[in-house]
Amino acid sequence: MMKALRQEAAKLLQEKRAALIIGFAEREGHPALFISKPEDCERLFYDVSCRQNLAAYLSKPEVSARRPVAIVASLAALRSLVVLTAESQAAPGQVLALAVDKDAFLGTFDVAGAAELLRSKYPDLGPEKALLERVGELSKKSVVERAAFWAEEFAKCTRCYACRAACPGCYCARCIVEKNAPQWVSTAALGHGNYSWNIMRAFHQSGRCTLCGACEAACPQGLPLMVLNAALDREALEEFGARPGYDPEGKPVIGSWSAEDDHSYMR
Amino acid sequence: MKTEKADVPTPTTFEPRITAFVCNWCTYAGADLAGTSRLQYAPNLRIIKLPCTGRIDPLFVLKAFENGADAVLVSGCHPGDCHYTSGNYHARRRWTLFRKLLALTGIGDDRLFFSWVSAAEGQKFADLVNDVTAKVRKAGPFQAAHPGRKA
Repeated sequence: MMKALRQEAAKLLQEKRAALIIGFAEREGHPALFISKPEDCERLFYDVSCRQNLAAYLSKPEVSARRPVAIVASLAALRSLVVLTAESQAAPGQVLALAVDKDAFLGTFDVAGAAELLRSKYPDLGPEKALLERVGELSKKSVVERAAFWAEEFAKCTRCYACRAACPGCYCARCIVEKNAPQWVSTAALGHGNYSWNIMRAFHQSGRCTLCGACEAACPQGLPLMVLNAALDREALEEFGARPGYDPEGKPVIGSWSAEDDHSYMR
Repeated sequence: MKTEKADVPTPTTFEPRITAFVCNWCTYAGADLAGTSRLQYAPNLRIIKLPCTGRIDPLFVLKAFENGADAVLVSGCHPGDCHYTSGNYHARRRWTLFRKLLALTGIGDDRLFFSWVSAAEGQKFADLVNDVTAKVRKAGPFQAAHPGRKA
């Protein structure tokens, strides 16, 4: 698998279909690797412990200046690529994906090809069962118990914003937490500021999250961020049929509407 | 002037503080109608008027809870009646997901209320406020231990 990935990456550079390849390095932690010479493709690596979502680099100016770019992309990263295209953040024809799934190399795809692959072979990607069970368990608790659970979890947050940096969906040039006139979210790494930050981070991904898990993997404090992401993903699917990352021309869930949306909770 | 002692809340009775975010065109006008019609309703509501429900950022709700609200009410134009055509439809999608997120993190539907009140529904507004106030009074003060509360 690794051999096929390396050969294909080298070929893309040789044929000038890509000027830059972003992949994973073999050394501990599997950091991102930026390659522009075909001979360096031997250093590319992939296995399931590569948790970063490399689509997050596409919005960085240093990367977009070196297009066309090809990224090593897991299925979730492929979905991110499609979401970014739908949100006009990735120019079609400027980004290629070297698609990988667990221990298989699936080939090189442009965005339309990636969407086609996902629709035909992986039509119901969603949260893992264990994650949904965690959401279910939490939902069964009383509101007071839920508040206590999150009070304990959010108290660990140091507001390093590693979750934001790791997320392909967090590409705003100026994030709400950096706006200070007025100060919407307290910057102190304490109770209410941590609550606001974590809630807004999750909410801004609602209907867009591809459940890649990069935020949770990046969190140095081990916050269960995927519990929030998974709950919102299921909610957006149930309420609005949202399947982010399958249609490069799809409309975002928040930002579009239908007169038929449910409002049984409205008085 | 004679004051009725029974109406003055003693420190031991809990009086909920409810923040209401309402739109300029429907619910605020509805509240105005309730006032000009001399309808009496619970005085626990603090109304904040915005141009449209579509303008209500979910952060406003978090801010209200942060700063001492026991409950939040969001109210705007009925579907199809939005002054800006679709602001309330956009808002509705947002709230559908946001209320679930808050419920999962410890702010349940006894704290967060949504409604449509038109400019002609002064009576509905008064009834709504009374009903919401009664519910929050029953639910008690918003838990001081909630992570979203300012210490």
